[in-house]
Amino acid sequence: MRRHLATLAVTIGLSTALTALPAAAQGTVRVALGTTLSQLDPARTTIGDEYVYVHLLFNGLSRIDPDMTVKPDLAESWTASDDLKTWTFKLRQGVKFHHGRVMDAEDVVATMKRILDPATGSRARTSLSMVEGVAATDPMTVEFKLNIPYAGFADIFADRQLRIVPKDKLAELSTQPIGTGPFMFKSWSPGDRLELTKNPDYFEKGLPKLDGATLRIIPESAARMAALESGAVDIVWSMPYEAVDKLKTSAVARADSVSTPTWDGVILNNDRPPFNDVRVRKALALTIDKAAIVELALFGQGEPTFSPIPPSHPYFNKSLKVGAPDIAQAKKLLAEAGFPNGFDVPMQVPQEREQRVRVGVAVRDMARAAGIRINVERVPFASYTANVAGKAQMYVDGYFARPTIDTAIYPFYHSSGSWNKQLWIYKDARVDQLLDDARKTNDQAARKAIFEKFQAIAEETVPGIIAYSAAHVNGVSKKVDGFKSTPMQWLELKNVSIKP
Amino acid sequence: MAAYITRRLALVVLVLVAVSMLVFGVTTLLPANVAYLILGAFATPEQVHALELKLGLTDPVWQQYLRWAGGFVTGDLGVSTLMNRPVGPMLLEALQRSLMLTGLSFVLIAVIGVGLGIVAALRHGRPLDHGVSVATYLGIAVPEFFWAIVVIIVFAAWLGWLPASGYEPLSAGVWEWAKHLIAPTMTLVFGHLAHVSRLTRSSMIEVMQSPYITAARAKGLPERVIVLHHALRNALLPTITVLALDFGRLMGGIVVIETVFAYPGLGRLVVFSIQNRDLPTLQAAILVVAAIYALANLLADLLYARLNPKIRFGRHVA
Amino acid sequence: MSPEPAAATPAKPPRKPMPLQLKAGLAITGTILLLGLLAPWIAPHPWDTISMRTRFLAPNATYWLGTDEYGRDVLSRLLMGARLSIGMGVAATLFSLAIGVPMGLAAGYFRGWVDEALMRLADVLMAIPPIMLGLLVLAVTPPALWKTALAVGFVYIPPIARLARSVTLTLANEEFVQAAKARAESTSYILFREILPNAWPPLIVEASLRVTYAILLGSALSFLGLGAQPPSSDWGLMISEARSFLDRAPWIALAPGLAMCLLVIGINLLGDGARERLDPRLKARLGKA
Repeated sequence: MRRHLATLAVTIGLSTALTALPAAAQGTVRVALGTTLSQLDPARTTIGDEYVYVHLLFNGLSRIDPDMTVKPDLAESWTASDDLKTWTFKLRQGVKFHHGRVMDAEDVVATMKRILDPATGSRARTSLSMVEGVAATDPMTVEFKLNIPYAGFADIFADRQLRIVPKDKLAELSTQPIGTGPFMFKSWSPGDRLELTKNPDYFEKGLPKLDGATLRIIPESAARMAALESGAVDIVWSMPYEAVDKLKTSAVARADSVSTPTWDGVILNNDRPPFNDVRVRKALALTIDKAAIVELALFGQGEPTFSPIPPSHPYFNKSLKVGAPDIAQAKKLLAEAGFPNGFDVPMQVPQEREQRVRVGVAVRDMARAAGIRINVERVPFASYTANVAGKAQMYVDGYFARPTIDTAIYPFYHSSGSWNKQLWIYKDARVDQLLDDARKTNDQAARKAIFEKFQAIAEETVPGIIAYSAAHVNGVSKKVDGFKSTPMQWLELKNVSIKP
Repeated sequence: MAAYITRRLALVVLVLVAVSMLVFGVTTLLPANVAYLILGAFATPEQVHALELKLGLTDPVWQQYLRWAGGFVTGDLGVSTLMNRPVGPMLLEALQRSLMLTGLSFVLIAVIGVGLGIVAALRHGRPLDHGVSVATYLGIAVPEFFWAIVVIIVFAAWLGWLPASGYEPLSAGVWEWAKHLIAPTMTLVFGHLAHVSRLTRSSMIEVMQSPYITAARAKGLPERVIVLHHALRNALLPTITVLALDFGRLMGGIVVIETVFAYPGLGRLVVFSIQNRDLPTLQAAILVVAAIYALANLLADLLYARLNPKIRFGRHVA
Repeated sequence: MSPEPAAATPAKPPRKPMPLQLKAGLAITGTILLLGLLAPWIAPHPWDTISMRTRFLAPNATYWLGTDEYGRDVLSRLLMGARLSIGMGVAATLFSLAIGVPMGLAAGYFRGWVDEALMRLADVLMAIPPIMLGLLVLAVTPPALWKTALAVGFVYIPPIARLARSVTLTLANEEFVQAAKARAESTSYILFREILPNAWPPLIVEASLRVTYAILLGSALSFLGLGAQPPSSDWGLMISEARSFLDRAPWIALAPGLAMCLLVIGINLLGDGARERLDPRLKARLGKA
């Protein structure tokens, strides 16, 4: 998630475009996903399986490479005014949509206006909450006016929902989606498979190497892995952690793992008893053995952390230590808070996310030692929004890597943050101040200090218990060449080829 | 008979109307705000209200029901709230696949079930008889999802003979298509063999002991002729009604099997739409399954009524 | 999904009583029930305490059936789960008896519109495959095992009601009922004192078989996530959770799978045996198991 400020005011060509080889027939890669897509319209996507598809069909103004650096994509370059409130994007010339029309500034404006329109119902609307206006100043230039200084503005556009769509095909996005990406939509059979074909006019010359890609929906995780081992699929996206060990000895496939800022944790409602009392939240935190949770839930594929900032990030506060459980202290805090005999509390876990269910089971067992009696309830993930988020007393949830530290922290911890209201309803004046300050500075050292301090406060006030940063693991057939897992957890397939 | 059938069919229609009301009523109780599901977590109350007005969710339930039922009768099954596409074609596609799966399983259950029943009856009381009993019993006494997982592990992961899951259209090649049907079919067949084989066995045993078989034997007819021409014809009659019931049961069995094997049919559509609170899809899918289920049960009843007089062996009519 | 009794079929002439079936059924079911009831005292290890050092142990001298992904003893979980699975099945069946029997009694005794109304209601419920009806009913509320029991019981009300009705239809014409009517006994007296005691035998047999369908349906619902909740050791849930570890630790799934198999067979034997005892004419209907 390194902020790549060098991209400011700099035009960077794509190295791949210069070194590309002539495209040869390279076959079709078959990818297994676990959940059916309920949306083909990128602005409305909400789950990882959908993001995989979005990344193959669409491009953003900027993009995040597997090393988490931000690079220009559909924009060729961008500049910011000195007050960081006016941002100008120059678009790449001659990029064609899949229906053959050349992309221009009006497409970008239409895409953004559509996301900003509440009626669209895009999750990304909040990412653009600082945008006051967007306009095309010439056919290849787009200008954004912001209501606050925002240093990381260009990085936001790498995010999933903000991909550029054609202004003349907005109505068909749910049925016949059209983008600019390396692959084109061929067919979608809900619950079964999505067929994509190579975009011959993709703007990075020579890419993609494949003729096409098929995304298969296979909900049963054992079935996904069996399909990989039998050669029925070539890549299992986000493979189950428990199967990683087994692939180590496999002759046909390997596990490709990468650290990510993706986190899971226990969300506590700071606005409702009993977790409106910081002593109770702290008591719960004191019972938790995060190292054991990483082992139980992820089979070791992750690291304990304190906030959405992962240990692999330069801003991670290394002075904080993952402590061992302290049951005596937890009991003392509970008694002080008026629960000498503990209490009963229900905890929702998302039925379809096995590792989060395991987090829940582990936390239940650990909290029991201090007298917190948790009743685990598995509920369909689909009912989270309406019934759990921001309402339940405690529940297990998690969030994918965001393109920037700001987008990963601010909406979750600032008292005005959009996600904050959906999660823990947390309010700390010191955190608000820190996060506002961070948005106004480009100075790396200052930002590092700010975010280290933020982590210390978060650990001390326990809005919730972030258990770990999870690794992202793909099961990859040994026939697949050129594949690398990316921390953003979508699939980068344009450089991939298949050995016969 | 014709009057009876007409009356029963009319009854089935009435029952289905009632089922539609029941399903509609229950689904409106599902704890999820559809507008929120569509608009996402950050929808404002005004947006939610606007969308609810647009979808007609603020109308009284009976009005919503009439609108939905009216559409259903005219072939408009509504639009999936989650997939954003018409329910009709989606449902039809899923139905075709499910019928393919259940149809194939049904034929196999009939053939294998009857075959095993005959063999067990002829070897009545001997090891083979007990073997068949135990095997079919295992199929019925262990949950289908357990066998499904065992099949995946053995045939897909260990032996690598079959794909672990999914579905290929016929256009992908006959073998590809067939390969994906084998594992779920196998599981379904195993789970449903017992009814047919046990019933065939017991009626076979009974027929073989009846006076007219003894008479046939006395005439010196070869055993093969006795079994196939005389005994089987009579013994099969009760089996046929059970087969019709089994078809209905298969429509229920696909819920678990299609989920485990990622087979994109009706059963999965039902589970998916329940999990995702996709009410239009759920309502339509359950009604279609109920229709098939009710018709299969009706057929079983009719067959039973039709065949009943013929299956007297002079002693007892159940 | 679940086994249903075969449609009425011609029966064989009475043969010698065959108590073996009943004995075997009693022995199997009784043993499982007893082990389940005594589980808290005889379980060798805690059923729900996570233990990092004992994960995925194959069956051995300390852990007879091995350990699971949380390092918990599979045998102890299995024993604790027995009471849940049996309890769920029995509770569900009692619920369907409690509602279905009065329904059937009323329909069979009053006949006319009462009969028509109740039986059409049963038709409606029976027009949806049990598992889908169960899913539908359970989706309305946050999941819990007791709700699964109620939902399963609800699903199986119609067949119980139908049987109770047909038994009542026959009994209503019997002399002792006519005599009670002639004595001007109250309707509730006739229904519950005269008819019900005589209707029990076939109902009990049916109910004992219903328990197995209830266990299977309940476990399927648990498997689909709408039944017991973790860390519960309900057998359906155990299998559902263990399916991710089948290649690494097959014993976690095999133990509850085989246990369920044994239980269902045991109860079926019990039911078949009881049926033969009570109604010799139907003896051979299901053959020997």
